[in-house]
This record gives sequence, structure tokens and C-alpha cells, in this order.
Amino acid sequence: MRFSSFIYLVGQGLHNMRANRLMTFASMGVLTVCMLLIGTAFLLGVNIDYMVDYLGDQNFVVAYLEQGTTEEERAQVEASLGGMAGVGGITYNSPEDVLQEYSGMLSQYTNLESVFANDNPFLANYEVTLTDVGQMEAVVAQLGALPHILRVNAPLAVQQLFLSLQKVITYGSYGLVAVLGLVSMVVINNTIRITVFARRREIGIMKLVGATNGFIRFPFFVEGTASGLLSAVLASGIVCGGYYYLCQWYAEHPTNLTEMFGGELVPLSQVWYLIVGTFVVFGFVLCGIGTATSIRKHLNV
Amino acid sequence: MIEFQHVYKTYETHSDENVALEDISLKINEGEFVFVRGHSGAGKSTFLKLMLMEERPDKGRGRIIINGQDLTKLRRGKIPYMRRKLGVVFQDFRLIPTMTVYENVAFAMRVTNISNKVIRNRVPYVLSLVGLEDKMDRLPDELSGGEQQRVAVARALAHGPKVIIADEPTGNIDPELSMDIMQLFEAINKVHITVVVVTHEHELVNNLAARYHNRVITLSHGHIADDTANPEVARRYLANGGQPVPELSYSV
Repeated sequence: MRFSSFIYLVGQGLHNMRANRLMTFASMGVLTVCMLLIGTAFLLGVNIDYMVDYLGDQNFVVAYLEQGTTEEERAQVEASLGGMAGVGGITYNSPEDVLQEYSGMLSQYTNLESVFANDNPFLANYEVTLTDVGQMEAVVAQLGALPHILRVNAPLAVQQLFLSLQKVITYGSYGLVAVLGLVSMVVINNTIRITVFARRREIGIMKLVGATNGFIRFPFFVEGTASGLLSAVLASGIVCGGYYYLCQWYAEHPTNLTEMFGGELVPLSQVWYLIVGTFVVFGFVLCGIGTATSIRKHLNV
Repeated sequence: MIEFQHVYKTYETHSDENVALEDISLKINEGEFVFVRGHSGAGKSTFLKLMLMEERPDKGRGRIIINGQDLTKLRRGKIPYMRRKLGVVFQDFRLIPTMTVYENVAFAMRVTNISNKVIRNRVPYVLSLVGLEDKMDRLPDELSGGEQQRVAVARALAHGPKVIIADEPTGNIDPELSMDIMQLFEAINKVHITVVVVTHEHELVNNLAARYHNRVITLSHGHIADDTANPEVARRYLANGGQPVPELSYSV
């Protein structure tokens, strides 16, 4: 193909977008709405996942030291904890710290500090936070095996609940994205078919004056691709822009509920490229290839 | 130039078979002006579709040769290249409505990979031949039927074909303009381009053929009922039980 022919065909594709602007607008509208739905479902899934993750991270394991553990032995335990896989951080609570905490909690009823001034029944412990809540069981086993550890308290049932919840939400939201993607494909493919059907006569004329299938397809491909990419840009702008303001609003209007879930949404900087990338690929593949293949049956002239 | 050798074409439906052409043999030489006429259902459209390769003859029943190329052996991918050697004019003009007159004519040249420079020179020239050089920037819908048909003729001529095939070229235009279009084809034929005009307008054919001594091939019920270049055809047709065609005023 001559370069001038290539330029001509690209120009024809863009010209056709203007000439058939009603259909172009219809397919771009459908595609943009589909992308908005997919983007919203994706962000919803990501954020619910993030919140569940946050809640899961609030769980920690408590490892109680044996009564009478010396400072030297405690230092050994602390060193072992520091090097243990899956441990994110440790906080030491001496028996006095624990007594103080409980005294504060029950101050309206009794003065625990005076009751146990000479006979503190509480055990020293370590609060161990985990890097991954999914490793709780393994970390608990390792902690239990350490010397001078009397017992380990771990909310394994809660952890299981969070993991299951997270799994359900992840599958649910991405399943929703997949279903919406599929529905979008059907709707967009149908719109493209209507567009092509409206121009079947034009395609027939091109064939009868000796145009090859490639020569006819190329402007349609350009037209479809350009519509797809424009829709992707439009949908990306709306989704990312809208999400940016939502993040700001969410952070500026804290409530007990939002605080419970960490007080912030997944930052836009962590998701924008996924949204834009998906939309661009979605628009390009669906519209570009969809248009080029939809005209196939009209080429048999 | 164009040769049909014992060509058969049958359309099959669910319950029945419709024989459109039966044992058609003819030869159109380079530089000839030929009318192919007949009533509705005579086989004219099928004859045309076979030349344009919109249809193929029944398998193993006949050969069609155009410019030395056997169309029955042509692969699907080669069809566009064969069509580029022909110029085609249709009854309904078949102009691309979103393209200007200039672009419609240029389009036939672009598909043959002709450079922009040649297109820029050639398109105004062919439009001037049909008298439309001042309407290059118009859209087809802004032109009259006769003007649209002249654009179609210009498009058929633009890439310099050796053969022009016209399907009922006067069917959608006023009778007074029909003669203009036909005279345009006569002028084209003068520069040694083969012209095949398929039409059902017997009177127009009679008038023109009488004036310009064109060859007339008459189709009837899928057979050649008459060929002014070969009187034997009509005699054979009638001898084989063919029905006389009332409008014929030639060799029968």
C-alpha cells in the first residue's frame, strides 16, 4: 500500500466518524456508559477489598510470657519475634501496663491497682501484628513453639471470617466486572453491527469498483479504534475525576463508620493506570476489531 | 474481449430450481458497442452479475473469459483486481452518499493504488468529459438523476478501463436525458472502449441501434433469442421452439 493510500484511508476513517456522527455518537455513548459501569464496579470491589484488608490488619495475636520470665529471657523472646516471618510489629506490655489498662477500664467500679498492688495477677505479653492476616495460623504455631511463651491468643475464627468475606467480595466484584464486560461486548457488538448494516450499500459499492477487503476494512477499523479510544479517554476522565473528588470528600467527612474502615479510600494514584489501561484495551479491542470483523458478511459481494 | 462459452446459471431455492441462463455462448470483441436487452426475467441481470463475478456459472457448466482471463478459475481474492479492469454504471447510480462528486470519482482510482498526483489531474478531466467539472464539490444528493448518472459514468471511466458495462443506465432518469447518456456511451466507444449496455428499453435500443448500427443481443427466458451480429442465432432459437420476442425489429 502506498503511504498516500494509508493516509487517505486513515483520513477516510476519521471523515466517516464525522459523516456518520449519529452512529458514532451512539456507539461511543454505549461504550462510555459500559466503561463507566465497569470502572465503578472495579473501584467498588477494590475499595471493599481494601477496607476488609484494613479490618483484618487490626487483628493481632497476643503471646503471654510465663510468670517469672527474666529480662534476659524476655530479650531472647523479643529477638526471636523480631526475626520471625509474617510478623509486622511487636508491642511489649508488662504486667504493670496490663494492670493499669484494666484499672482504667474498671475505674468506675473498683480500684484494681490498689487491690493488686502487691500481687499483680496479670502476665506480661507481646502484641504481635501480622504482615498478612492469612498467615495467622502459621505465626501462632511458631509463637507457641518459642521458649518462655505460656500461651498464644489469636482470633482465628475472626480471621477466617475476614478471609472468607474478602474472598466473596473479590469474586463478587470481579465477577460483576466480568459480567458487565460481557454485557458491554454484546451491546457494543450490536451497535457496531447496526452501524455497519446502515452502510452495507456503501460497502457493496466499494466492492463493485474493485476495492479489496482490506481497503474497505481499514477505514472502518480506524473509525472503530478512534471511537473506542475516545470513549476510553472520556470514561477514564469521568471515572478518575469523579473518584478523585470522592476520595477528597470521604477524607474530609469522617464518620464513626468511615473511621472503622480506615478513614480513607484506595488512593487514585494506585488505581488510575489500571482503569485507563483497561479502558484503552477494552475500547481498542472491542471497537477496532469488532468493527473490522462485523463487516465481513457484507464483503461477500 | 468478453466471451461466454456454454454458460448455465441456475438459482436453487428450498423447493425448486430456477434456470436463469441456459447454454449461453457469445463473443464481444474489443471496441464493440453492444446492447443486451430483454424483458424482466430474461436473464439480463444474471448475465451482468456473471461478468462482474457477483455470481458464478453452475459448476463445470461453461466458461466466461474477460480480457483473456477465465473468470470461472478466478480465486475470490483476485476478484477485486479483475473488477478494476472494468468500468460499471448502475441504474441506481450507486454513488457513495457521504463523498463529494470529486471523491466518488477519485475513489475508483484510489482502490487501484493510483497516486494522488495522477488523481488530481485525472478526476477534473473525466468530470469535464461528462460536463460536471463545476460540480465537483457537491454531494450526490445535491444533483439531479441525470447528473448523478454522469458522475457514475465518470467514475467508470476514471481508472481507464478497456470495458464499460452499464446496467439499465437510463432506468432512473428522464426520457429526454436518456439519449444524452446513451450519446455519452457512444462517445466513449469512439475511443475504442468496449461498451456493453444491458437494458429492457426496446424502443431506445431500436432508435440508437438504427442510428449508430450497434450490435443488439436479445435474451429471452435465459436463452439468446437474437444477435444482430449473427442472424443464425435467431433462426436456431426459433427452430428449437423459442418464443418470438414481439419488440424485435432486427434479424428475425
